[in-house]
Amino acid sequence: MTNLFNKTALDELGENKKTWQDKFDKSKKMENKSYQTLSGIPVKPLYTPADLPDMDVLQDLGFPGQAPFVRGVHPTMYRGRTWTMRQLAGYGPPEETNKRYKLLLDEGATGINGIFDYPTLRGYDSTDPVAQADCGRGGVAIDTLEDMRILFDGIPVEKVSSSLVTCQPICNITVQSMYFANAKNRGVDLNHLTGTSQNDFLMETCMATAPGVLPPFASFKLSCDAIEFCAKYAARWNPISFAGYNYRETGCRADQEIAFVIANAIACIDEMLSRGLDLDSFAPRLSFFLNGHNDFFEEIAKYRAARRIWCNIMQNRFKTKNPRSQTFRFHVQTAGVALTAQQPLNNIARAAYHALAAVMGGAQSVHIDGYDEGLCIPTELSAITALRSNQILQLETRVTQTIDPLGGSYFIESLTNQLEEKILNIIAEIDQLGGIVKATETGWIHNQVADASYEYQQAVDRGEIPVVGVNCHTMEDEVLPIELFKVPETLDIQAQKLARIKKERNKDEVQKAIADIARGCEKNENLMEIIIDAVQSFITEGEITDVLKSNYGVWDPPLF
Amino acid sequence: MLKKRILIAKPGLDGHDRGAKIVARALRNAGMEVIYTGLHQTPKHIVNTAIDEDVDAIGLSVLSGAHKTVFAKVTSLLKEKGVEDLLVFGGGTIPKKDWNLLKAMGVGEIFTPGTDTQSIIDYLNNAIGK
Repeated sequence: MTNLFNKTALDELGENKKTWQDKFDKSKKMENKSYQTLSGIPVKPLYTPADLPDMDVLQDLGFPGQAPFVRGVHPTMYRGRTWTMRQLAGYGPPEETNKRYKLLLDEGATGINGIFDYPTLRGYDSTDPVAQADCGRGGVAIDTLEDMRILFDGIPVEKVSSSLVTCQPICNITVQSMYFANAKNRGVDLNHLTGTSQNDFLMETCMATAPGVLPPFASFKLSCDAIEFCAKYAARWNPISFAGYNYRETGCRADQEIAFVIANAIACIDEMLSRGLDLDSFAPRLSFFLNGHNDFFEEIAKYRAARRIWCNIMQNRFKTKNPRSQTFRFHVQTAGVALTAQQPLNNIARAAYHALAAVMGGAQSVHIDGYDEGLCIPTELSAITALRSNQILQLETRVTQTIDPLGGSYFIESLTNQLEEKILNIIAEIDQLGGIVKATETGWIHNQVADASYEYQQAVDRGEIPVVGVNCHTMEDEVLPIELFKVPETLDIQAQKLARIKKERNKDEVQKAIADIARGCEKNENLMEIIIDAVQSFITEGEITDVLKSNYGVWDPPLF
Repeated sequence: MLKKRILIAKPGLDGHDRGAKIVARALRNAGMEVIYTGLHQTPKHIVNTAIDEDVDAIGLSVLSGAHKTVFAKVTSLLKEKGVEDLLVFGGGTIPKKDWNLLKAMGVGEIFTPGTDTQSIIDYLNNAIGK
C-alpha cells in the first residue's frame, strides 16, 4: 500500500473544508444549474484529497512506462520523443495528393496520414455509377496498384511512417495490400515498413450506415486477416487502429468511445488467439485512434483511464506479462464535429484546446483539424496553419518538459476513476451481449450511438451546451473570411487511367486473381495473403469488392 | 390532418451521416413519418423511393462537396417524371455561394451545420401543404 493520506489528516482537512463550503454555499454569485462533464459525470466546484481517500499511487498510477501506464506509455514520454505531427491529407487523384504529402513533409510533418475518397473507402472504383459524384472527394482516389505507385512516388516509404486511413476493412484489405505490394516492388522488406491502417469493422457496419455492406462477421474477418498478416510478415506495422475518433464523431460520448474501442480490441484478440497466434506477437501492434473533444479535463481523464483499463484487461483477462502488450498507444485527431461553419477562424482556437488536452493526456501522435473543416476539405493555408498550431504547442508552450503534468490533481484523478468505472460498465454490458460483433449484428451499438448523438444535439438546440457562433455570440450577415478548397477534377483522370490499365493488363492474370480470392473466401483463408499478390495483376478495388460481396453476401444495418 | 411524409436521403458514398440521422429522428419526434435511406443512394433510387413512398418532401444530406451534381440530378429526375408537388430541401457542408444555384434548380431551402432541428421542423410545417 502506498496510500498518501492518513485518516487523521483527511479528517482535519474535512473540518477545514467546511468553512470554505459554507462560504461557497452562501454566495449569491452563482447560477443555480447542474455542473457535469459531457459524458454526464457530476463536477464539484472543488476537489481535495478527500475525493481520493484510497488512492494507491503505485498501484493506481505507477510511473511512466510502468503498469498501469496511467502516467504514460514510455519512461521518457515527450522528453525522449515528442508526439508525431501527423496531418491528415488526401484529395483528388493520387498525382495531386502526392504533391500535398511532399509539401507537408517539407514543412516539418513527421508522418503521412493518408485519407481516401469515399468510393475507395467503400470499396468502389471511381467509375462505378454509384461512386462518380464522390470521386476524389474526402480523400484521394485509388483504383489499382498503379494509383498507389503514383501516390507514394518520390516518398521514401522505408523511412516515412504512413498512416492509411482505410476506415472500412473492405477498403483496407485492398488498399493496405496495394501499399505493401508497392513497397515490395520498390525492393523494401515489409518488416521495415512503419505505419498504421485503420481497418475497423465498426466503421463499415455501424458508424456510417449504408444498406448492402458486408455483414459484420465478414467485415470483422477481413480486419483480423490484416492483423494476422502483419504479425507474420510486417512486424512494425500497426494493422488496426480502433476508430474511437469516428465513433465520437458519429455521436458517442467519451465513455462509449473508449468502451467501444476496447470491446472491439477484445474481440480481435479472441479471434487471433482462436487462430492460434501468440498474444504477444500481435497485441503490441493494436493501436487506437481517439477524438479530442471539447470537455478539456474529461478528455485528459479519458486518455489516462483508457491506459489503465487496457493494462488491467491485458494483465488479468489475457494474462500477458509483456509490458508492450499492455500499453494503450493512441493517435488523437481534434474533433471535427466540434468545429463550426460559422466564424471559421474560431476553429483555430478550438482545435488548439483539443490538442492541448491530447498532449496533457500523453498522446503518441496528434492531428489538428483545419479551421475550414466545417465547410470543405482543408485548403493549403488551413492545412499549414493546423500544422503550425501543432508545432507551436510542441515548441513554444513548454508542455513537453514534464510527464503527465496533471497526474495527482485531485480533480483529474477523481475524473479518471469515475470515467474508468463508467467505461468498465459498458464493456461488461457488451460482454453480456456476446461481444462487439454480436452487439453490432443486433443493432445495439447503432442505437447507443444514435441516442447519444440525438441527446447531444438536443442539448445544443436547447442552449445547454453553448457553441460560440452557433447558439450564442452569433453574427448576422457574416462574411466568410476564408477561401474554400476546390477539389481538382478527378473522375476524368481516374477514368482514363482505368481504361488504359484495363486494356493493357493481362486478362488471364486478372481472372486468376479473382479465382484466387474467391477460393480464399470459400476455404476461409487469410485474404490479405492472397490479395497482396492479386493486386499485381492490376485488378481494381471494385473488382475485389465484387468477389467479396458475392461470397459473403450483404447486410442492411439498422438505420436510425 | 394527414401526417407529413418525409424522405431523408444520403446520396453518394460519403459517410458523414450524423446530421441526417439526427434530422430524421427530430422530424419523427415532431410527428412526421420519416423514411431514411442510409448511405450509398443514387439520385435515381432516391427519386423512385420518393414516388413509391408518396412523400411530401425529400431532404438530401450532402457533406462531400458533391451537392451541385447531386441536387441537379435529383431535381431533373423529378421533372422528368412529372413530379411537381414535391418539396426538395437539403443540408450539409454547402457553401452559401452555391445556394442560389441550388435554389434555381428548385431546391426549397438549405440547412448548414449549426442549424437547430426546430427550424427544420418549422420550415417543413410551413412549406408543406400550402
